[in-house]
Amino acid sequence: MDKLRAKVRTLLSEGQVAGYLGYLIKDSHPLPHLFTPENLEEVDQAVVAPDNARYPLDKLLIPLAERYPEAAFAIQVRGCDERGLNELYKWGQLDPEKVVPVGVACTQEQADYCECPGPWASVVDYGEKCQPVAKSLRVEQVATLAEEDAFQEWLGAFKRCIKCYGCRDVCPMCFCKDCSLEHEDLMSTGQLPPDSIFQLVRAIHMAGRCIDCGLCEETCPAGIPLRVLYKKANALVKDLFDYETGSPTAGPSPWKMLGEEATLETKPM
Amino acid sequence: MELRAVLTTCPYCGVGCNFIFEVLDGKIINTMAAKTGPSNAGSLCIKGWSVHEFIQHKDRLTKPLIRRDGVFKEATWDEAYDYAASELLRLKDTYGPESVAFVGSARCPNEETYIFQKFARAAFGHNHVDHCARLCHAPTVAGLAVSFGSGAMTNSFAELEHANCILVIGSNTTVSHPIAAKRLMKAQANGAKLMVADPRKTQIAQLADLHVQQNLGTDVALINGLMHVIYKNGWHNRAFIEERTENFPALAEMIEQFPPERVSQITGVSVPDIEKMAAWYAKSQDSAIVYVLGITQHTTGVDNVKSLANLAMLCGHIGRPSTGVNPIRGQNNVQGACDMGCLPNAFPGYQYVNVPENVAKFEKAWNAKLSGTPGLTMVEQVEAVHEGKVKGLVVFGANPVVSYPNANRVQKGLEALEFLLVLDIFPTPTTALAHVVLPGASFAETCGTFASSERRVQLVREAIPPIPGKYNWEIIPELSTRVGYPMKYASAAEIFDEMASLTPAYGGMSFPRLEAEGLCWPCPTPNHPGTKYLHKDKFTRGLGLFQAIDFRPPAEAPDDDYPFWLTTGQIFSHYLTGTMTRRCPTLHHENPEVFVEINPQDAARLEIEAGEKIRASSRRGTIEVKARITETVKPGVVFIPMHFLENAANRLTNAALDPITKTPEYKVCAINLAKAA
Ligand code: SF4
Ligand code: SF4
Repeated sequence: MDKLRAKVRTLLSEGQVAGYLGYLIKDSHPLPHLFTPENLEEVDQAVVAPDNARYPLDKLLIPLAERYPEAAFAIQVRGCDERGLNELYKWGQLDPEKVVPVGVACTQEQADYCECPGPWASVVDYGEKCQPVAKSLRVEQVATLAEEDAFQEWLGAFKRCIKCYGCRDVCPMCFCKDCSLEHEDLMSTGQLPPDSIFQLVRAIHMAGRCIDCGLCEETCPAGIPLRVLYKKANALVKDLFDYETGSPTAGPSPWKMLGEEATLETKPM
Repeated sequence: MELRAVLTTCPYCGVGCNFIFEVLDGKIINTMAAKTGPSNAGSLCIKGWSVHEFIQHKDRLTKPLIRRDGVFKEATWDEAYDYAASELLRLKDTYGPESVAFVGSARCPNEETYIFQKFARAAFGHNHVDHCARLCHAPTVAGLAVSFGSGAMTNSFAELEHANCILVIGSNTTVSHPIAAKRLMKAQANGAKLMVADPRKTQIAQLADLHVQQNLGTDVALINGLMHVIYKNGWHNRAFIEERTENFPALAEMIEQFPPERVSQITGVSVPDIEKMAAWYAKSQDSAIVYVLGITQHTTGVDNVKSLANLAMLCGHIGRPSTGVNPIRGQNNVQGACDMGCLPNAFPGYQYVNVPENVAKFEKAWNAKLSGTPGLTMVEQVEAVHEGKVKGLVVFGANPVVSYPNANRVQKGLEALEFLLVLDIFPTPTTALAHVVLPGASFAETCGTFASSERRVQLVREAIPPIPGKYNWEIIPELSTRVGYPMKYASAAEIFDEMASLTPAYGGMSFPRLEAEGLCWPCPTPNHPGTKYLHKDKFTRGLGLFQAIDFRPPAEAPDDDYPFWLTTGQIFSHYLTGTMTRRCPTLHHENPEVFVEINPQDAARLEIEAGEKIRASSRRGTIEVKARITETVKPGVVFIPMHFLENAANRLTNAALDPITKTPEYKVCAINLAKAA
């Protein structure tokens, strides 16, 4: 932790950034925290989020950056968080010139749990690099099921949805002002469970955007294997468009081809 | 530049989820589920995720209001205090102290409720102080207190995941306690059998391994029937009954009269289903019961609760992890409000007022003359207003005009009051009738504690300063002082410490100890770890008491004029009277207006179409509702949610009361439906 703290202290005291978005043990809980030069001594208490208490820091950074457009911020990132930053740059939500990553390498245990192909950030200020996990066994397992069985299994899971919107609300990539999950032409309202396309609409929106942090699945009270769904969606995007979601070098998102505005009318073939 | 993450506890239901408020430069901008919250472990329901949407809403009351000649005028705090105090004193002097009654809140932190009941008792010398637990779980407190000696959820939420069988009865869990439903779904994934008894085909019912749709108000018969089958088959736990309980012969005699065939006739549940439920519950290693207001809001509420207690004791499914009788509380702090003695018959910690030693203890602690006579319950208070005995009412964070049954009569009562003082965070139909309205600070603007359903006392932390400029725990002492009983506190923690010193179950708690995970009471000493599940080795009362309970039909049944059974309840995006949730855009989007659920057969017969406006009327009133045609309800039964004050379901409901706790029968009444002209 010393290395990480030293870096943060330097960034703050030299005025390279206006704040560092990281974690602090506060009220006996690990919580997100904005460290500022005014309270430099707090940096002595800065921690890396425990694996069971990761929060979408990227998502917190967006309103902060919006309020202080001139300021630069440092932010604690794991591999997924940094993939998130890369996508957010592409979508114009954050300015890469104004963001300094403070990188964390995940443990093997965490990488295995996440089936993560990139379990470290481009700079590593904390932790040791471990073996990445190239293939998702969870996705492969679904692929072994007969199509109808897989379909029924998913429908069974979707029936448990309590429409908390937690999967969206926790998602660092869900920054839209108008959410298609609340679009009156797409989704009925007022009832539980929601329409069974609820998760599918979200999955489509996550294709090529999901950075596979897994926070959605962790928050889902219904235990729906959302991550498997989005991993699959991303795999399809990779196959179809050769687009690696979250990669800094992958070029523009394939969805940019839709233009600024998309409508719900069927398109001529 | 300041971005803070403030960890706090949800102000809605009794699950007690923890979340983080993101506070950017003094403004709450977002809510985030707390990963390390003991009861939610990183999840929230839709209401929790949207909580920040109401706090800084433009409709918040921010200044005291005084109504003179029918118009509200903004006033300074001093003017409001002075006027309120002079009116309260006038009533006290003219009609006697008993002419002023008090209604507290199940929403506010313990500290506020504690000083509220102290104010009522010490400044007025009577016990006319109550709150809305009366309307929901008073039968739980009364029923379980008699059976076990303690009226609270016996086990904790996390334990439910490891039960082998769960009986959910009268609980629309995914709607009313969504994050408790998380545990039920987890249990099922772990292989547990989930059984749901509910007249409606709710989401949790659809997920269940077995769903039975008992007729409204027939729970006692159903539970007696289950016990009949269990006993006849010898599946009961003889050792447990012998060592841990008393009065079993009386129960055995009673359940003898409930053979499955008869029970099937009363309840509409098939004999094989009754037998299957009995077998699953009795024969599983660890079976738990979860229930909510579908059990309590009946004229037989206490009977229903005692019957569930009987069932658990019969099989020995209590006093161990992942078992028990688990009422989930509807409101964040209804457990706490009861613990704090916001009840007409008990001082804090269920120290009953009719025990002279208790009176003496609190007289000494509070330095005041107290009464040993139980006071009026909420609904009795309203009757006393109609009879002219109560002339003034102090309402602290409650909305009786909408939440009480037979709302029309309540409204008339409150209109007749000489003085009505209401503290709330939003204008409500109740504040509209007040003579003085005091603007309250919401849970996001104060420190304190809530006690969740699992008896977990958790901290509430201040995210922003009070929007009206004062903490509620400053307002009550100020009023009290001005009516002649001086009170002063420097902080919520100081109030908590005073309360804990007088309340044995909280005796070992303090703010610093509550920081990490809270503590589940009883926690009598400073190093006691708290109590995850109750009644281990011994019931609070010693031996568990079996009680023979006969079946009584509901107070009102359909007839030619009012041919439908009406049942009421909540919907997933709203909460109680909707003053908060209906101001949250995310929640409003889901359910903007009131509706009635009606079975397709009934709709066809009455030629009612989906979305059509129809009139629902009972002997007590009429409202307009939109038809929602659905198989969720059986033919002959309709459901109307309770949240919509412009068309309040409680204009229809029956104020028939449970004889013991005076809890109204919200869950059953007879109504008629007709096309709106
Ligand atoms: S988090 Fe789970 S339960 Fe909540 S809306 Fe998403 S899929 Fe549904
Ligand atoms: S389940 Fe209850 S406590 Fe949890 S977020 Fe929802 S309303 Fe709040």
